Amino acid sequence: MQLVFVAGVGMTRIGRRSEPLPELMAEASRLALAEAGIDTPEAIVVATMNPEEFLGDGNFASNVATHMGFADVPALRIETATSSGAAAFYAGFAQVTAGLRRTVLVVGGEKMTHLTTPRVSEIIGRSIDPYERTYGATMPALAGLVTRALMTRHGVGAREIAQVAVKNHANATRNPLAHFQQAVTLDEVLSSRMVADPLRLMHCCPISDGAAAVVLSARPSPVRVAGVGQGTDTLAVRHRRELTSFAATRTAAREAYAMAGIGPERVDVAEIHDAFAPFELISLEDLGLVPPGKAGRATLDGDTALDGRLPVNPSGGLKARGHPLAATGLAQIAECVWQLTGRARDRQVADVHCALAHSIGGLATNNWVTILARA
Amino acid sequence: METIAASHCPRCGLVVAPPAAYCPHHPVSMAPITLPGVGEVVSFTTLHTPPAGFRSPLHIAIVELEGGGRFVCHGAEVQGLKIGATVAIEAVDNVYYFSHLGAMERARLFWRRAGHAGDRVNAIARSLAKRVWKSRAVNTDA
Repeated sequence: MQLVFVAGVGMTRIGRRSEPLPELMAEASRLALAEAGIDTPEAIVVATMNPEEFLGDGNFASNVATHMGFADVPALRIETATSSGAAAFYAGFAQVTAGLRRTVLVVGGEKMTHLTTPRVSEIIGRSIDPYERTYGATMPALAGLVTRALMTRHGVGAREIAQVAVKNHANATRNPLAHFQQAVTLDEVLSSRMVADPLRLMHCCPISDGAAAVVLSARPSPVRVAGVGQGTDTLAVRHRRELTSFAATRTAAREAYAMAGIGPERVDVAEIHDAFAPFELISLEDLGLVPPGKAGRATLDGDTALDGRLPVNPSGGLKARGHPLAATGLAQIAECVWQLTGRARDRQVADVHCALAHSIGGLATNNWVTILARA
Repeated sequence: METIAASHCPRCGLVVAPPAAYCPHHPVSMAPITLPGVGEVVSFTTLHTPPAGFRSPLHIAIVELEGGGRFVCHGAEVQGLKIGATVAIEAVDNVYYFSHLGAMERARLFWRRAGHAGDRVNAIARSLAKRVWKSRAVNTDA
């Protein structure tokens, strides 16, 4: 198989944005292409979760390609709910590693702050099993069920969960592109409004606009794609034996580690899908980065802080960098590339050789693990 | 007691409720079965700003039915409810609700579940401690 390199990355500021989505995606793409020194890629992969409902627009690969002046470049769209960006990265990686294309632009984005929160929640909730939705299940509701089981059956404490949000907000104060630029305290998180008991408002990621892009190339550059893995699970959460561990993450991690030929002990920094704070704790264990049952303690002890043994979500994570759905998987990869190439500025982790990005689609029905390494 | 329509995978034994045409894990047709409307709470939550069409607060639970299969339902209240508690499930206008079981219902369930006379003594010995603990948990918190 052809080795695949990350030739360039780009990301917009995440948050409330007035520009149309195709323009946000063009902004991220232009940054990535400029860094790669490429005028026109051989192919484009576009990720958006639901522009049909958020914007009323479809045929989005052609929409974005045409907007950027790439109407003549073959473009396709990929969707796996909230992990669409990571899935699009895989589709681009597959084209290059198979020798079908030499350079592929992968761009993901979402725009939703122009809608009310209930409407956004409803549209994101389309990714939930239809029967469970008839009982009022939303993403926060299912995350609330997971969180209560995590606390009751596994003894994970409220402070351990809240510390994830505190840490990720602290990291985001060092990221000028992050949605939230201010720190929060443990007390603020613990006293924030109850959303889906025991899940609180400040355990949840915000609604964000934004885009991120990656240029993949067969030509050697400092960062190599070491491994990509996908894991899937039942659409219905009720059909699973476990609520507090995601099989889709475990499968994706196993595949990615096998392709990279490494184990979790080699990971120097990780971007983890903390759409809800407890998911960071679950994922740390599912990814094998922390021994079972130890993620809460490790987080409280500062092991996953910027200056800890294994910094997690130096970008601020979904919680504080923001979560523009299909942009997120690529925003995580952009952060990994910046960390690997010493360009993460105030949030740079020392001596990063291997970085891992983990993306959850739906309520962990379609998850991805991407491992990047210094070439 | 309420019964709940479900289905069973002939290959892996997975039970899903409500019934599905195919097993989520195997490309085989599922066989229809019926389960009693009683089970153990796997987890529950309360939504304070539920989606359109639902009233706040909205209680949602996942219940592991006797005979297997996990079921999503609503509840009228969750005061004192604990993960692991036994609840009854009833349909009101085709919407399923869980409710705490009183002492009499629990006793009746226990004797029904204990099965044939020969098994009964063993069953009592096995589950007495669990039952006492559970009923105390429910009573003290109610």
